[in-house]
Amino acid sequence: MSQTEEHMTSIHVPSPIIQVRNLGKYYGNFDPAMIERTGPEHGTARDHVTASIVAAWGVNFDVAAGEALGIVGESGSGKSTVLRCIAGDVAASTGDVRLAPFEDGNVNILDLDPSARRQLRINTLSVVYQDPAEGLALGVTAGGNIADPLTAAGWRNFGSIRDRARELLARTEVPLDRMDDIVRNFSGGMRQRVQIARALANKPPILLLDEPTTGLDASVASGVLDLIRQLLEELQVAAIVVSHDFGVIEMLTERCLVMQHGRVVEDALTDQLLEDPHHPYSQKLVAAART
Amino acid sequence: MTLDTAPHTSPTTIAQLVGHRTTETFALLDEESKREIRRALLHAVCIPGYQVPFGSREMPVARGWGSGGLQVTLACVGSDDAVKVIDQGDDEGVNAVNLRRLVTMSTGIDETTEVYEATLIQSRHRIPEDDMNENHILILQVPVPEPLRGIERDIRELARMHSEADYSRMWVSLYEDKVRNGVITQSTGYPCLVASRYIVATTPIPRWDIPRLHQSKFLTLFGAGREKRVYAIPPYTDVEPLTFEDVPFEVESADGATCRLCGSSESFLVEMPGKQESWSCSDTAWCRRQRNT
Amino acid sequence: MGYAAARGGLNAILTAENLVRRLRDLDPSERIELDQFTGRLRLLVDRVMGESGLWAPELAAMALCQGEGDLIEAVHLLRAYKSTLGRLDTAIPLHANDIQLLRRVVPAFREPGGPQILGRSTDYTARMLTTTDRDIVDASDSTTTLDTALKTRPSNSRMSDVLRDMDLLVDRRRTDDPEPFDITRTPAKPPAPRSALLSSMARAETGALVNQWYRNILGPDGYLHEVTLGEVRHGKLPINVRHPMTGGSVNIGSFRATEVEAIEDLNGSEEDRTRFDVGYGFCFGHNERKAIAMANLDIACYRDGAKSGLEQSLLMTTDGLDSAGFLEHLKLPHYVTFRSMVERKVAVRRVADGSK
Repeated sequence: MSQTEEHMTSIHVPSPIIQVRNLGKYYGNFDPAMIERTGPEHGTARDHVTASIVAAWGVNFDVAAGEALGIVGESGSGKSTVLRCIAGDVAASTGDVRLAPFEDGNVNILDLDPSARRQLRINTLSVVYQDPAEGLALGVTAGGNIADPLTAAGWRNFGSIRDRARELLARTEVPLDRMDDIVRNFSGGMRQRVQIARALANKPPILLLDEPTTGLDASVASGVLDLIRQLLEELQVAAIVVSHDFGVIEMLTERCLVMQHGRVVEDALTDQLLEDPHHPYSQKLVAAART
Repeated sequence: MTLDTAPHTSPTTIAQLVGHRTTETFALLDEESKREIRRALLHAVCIPGYQVPFGSREMPVARGWGSGGLQVTLACVGSDDAVKVIDQGDDEGVNAVNLRRLVTMSTGIDETTEVYEATLIQSRHRIPEDDMNENHILILQVPVPEPLRGIERDIRELARMHSEADYSRMWVSLYEDKVRNGVITQSTGYPCLVASRYIVATTPIPRWDIPRLHQSKFLTLFGAGREKRVYAIPPYTDVEPLTFEDVPFEVESADGATCRLCGSSESFLVEMPGKQESWSCSDTAWCRRQRNT
Repeated sequence: MGYAAARGGLNAILTAENLVRRLRDLDPSERIELDQFTGRLRLLVDRVMGESGLWAPELAAMALCQGEGDLIEAVHLLRAYKSTLGRLDTAIPLHANDIQLLRRVVPAFREPGGPQILGRSTDYTARMLTTTDRDIVDASDSTTTLDTALKTRPSNSRMSDVLRDMDLLVDRRRTDDPEPFDITRTPAKPPAPRSALLSSMARAETGALVNQWYRNILGPDGYLHEVTLGEVRHGKLPINVRHPMTGGSVNIGSFRATEVEAIEDLNGSEEDRTRFDVGYGFCFGHNERKAIAMANLDIACYRDGAKSGLEQSLLMTTDGLDSAGFLEHLKLPHYVTFRSMVERKVAVRRVADGSK
């Protein structure tokens, strides 16, 4: 058994909300042997023979109801690739991803056509991006950004839309007197709160967060982080949190995966990982976070 | 509508080929061109509200001046039709006159200002006040066929939005409009959902005319010559102006003004601004009939 | 009196038409004969044919005369006339090397193979306006070598072929665009095959193409850089059709065209930086600036790969009749629209006043 496989504990849960099997993404030409030529043992995700990049490979995990799973690693580890493949922003090369709230988990969402994918993103799965500009229309008001998923889900009552937007903005601590200001005029932290409000508009059972506080000023980040923690607890969604920052992972998740060079090298309960990391790379990361 | 049925014999010399094709054309365009346009129109009728591309020919009127409406009329016209042409509701508008004479000169058919006598009604920016029925085809001249043009410029993205019925950005723009202005400020060419599927540009007809399209007895064809598309609202089709259920669709109000010629307040009025504002019916033929009866 | 609401609109039109005709035809100057257009204003005639997509010098001259020299008006007349003519046939495809050259310059090389003919061009003429009676050239003047100068010559070398032999050219030949896109029968919109783009530009308004090129060089949102021209050619090409009985090729006439090949230096990270690529320009008549702009824009559009809006701009905003017609349609009555806009302004003001 490889050093990597030694540290894989059971990642499967009964009745998962999210089930990911064999998720993989490469860039360039495919050569089956390139899988063996890349990864943590080779210290790179780039295959020297084909010049292809194996950004993520062989990723398996489940997420239970009400659980937040973290994916941690340095930049280039493949953690964002995994999130974007599940979100549908990037076309996965291979894999089977099923979501219990969508078609009873009988459909591999990686195969969905753009129309079906859009429906999934409206009703079932929301994404919060590192850069709020990616998840918001900057020229539209805060309320308007929330009206977007609501109308996409079929809301047609202006008063109700306004009420729901107010409710969400209040919960994400955005001042209501700014509801009709365009988002471009908001600070980074405020934009992030609006992005979160918008992501929650249709009460999605599944939430993906990609470096949600990276890029925010430290003073602002902690407030947003605390908000996310409260929301995850309150809403009991199934969530995946991607971050390079152990502080974020520690605060928000119960379990997490460590990724390096496109592969999962360890998965454990977050507390235990921080206390007693097994894989050398995890040890390195934890040590660096502690200093 | 009667169709031309010229005998077809295969030409065997170039001289015959030339002779075969240069016989007097009925309705300006050659038969092949008219057939192409009719095929596009059939597509349009089968998919209400869908913008069907067609090989738009250059006409004696400039692009932007009704070349599309004219092609639709010429493709539909038969020797037993009677045509009415209006611009802003007026049969005597110079552009309407020009278009009408092009139709009559090239076909020999009757022209009329009365809806009940017409079978084809080509119009720029108005639906006639008189009721129309199954015997009428209304042909509207379209400057901009794309209802989403205000919110998206890229042609490929527009095609995607229509094909996936992804109109969310349209709804957001209506929300923003209502928030910013207190009312939805779209004036003419109000966007409507046709047969619960496609959003269409209703050409710059006033909001006043929009309810006439819903479950109409008549067929409405839309011709955009410059943009090279046609679309259709078949009879008895649902046409719903886009608005929120608690924000009622508002037609133009005239604050109780009446037509200074016929006294009507039941028709769409246009005003002559000045010291004493005076209003008159935009539909001149309708107005004249009110005065004569 | 609003001109739209004029009683007797027909009378207004007839009066206007009459006025135009009288002032045009009864002008005290000498009547213009059509051969004065084709003979002495040849470049104008060529430009009209190029923008109409119809090779018919006498008809173009007629259209210019009727349109009182307005280029767009003349193009409109020709294209509308074309709409009344059914399509007889499609010519047999010809190879551009069948050209009988009147002019050929090759900026990329000092001594290219094949004839380099400066030909009939004012490029190196001093642009000095002659305001006095100039010396009219005498037909018997033996110092002119007119006959030899006007003789056409076949082309026996092409820069892109030379580059290809030196393995300096990327191979972009395709097999998935066998039938050229017919823009007169199907409107082209992105994503479109190259034949649609080339046909649209071949018929585009000259100024539109020149402007598209220049604003992409110097404008705020541009990103093009200049090419090196490989070929600039003007010459005659044959029109051949299939005989309906024998199936053999029959020559039924000829036309003149301008052809340009532009050599583009490939320097992008995803491109083959050891080679060049070529952009192609081609239009009716003698119109070098149009064909040069077209060649530049052809290769720019290919390299752009739909990242910017260049393909959409070229396919949808460069036609002279579409742009001029839509612009000038603003002169049509818009009082129904305007009345509706005024009503909305009143409504907005009511809300604003009500909330004070």
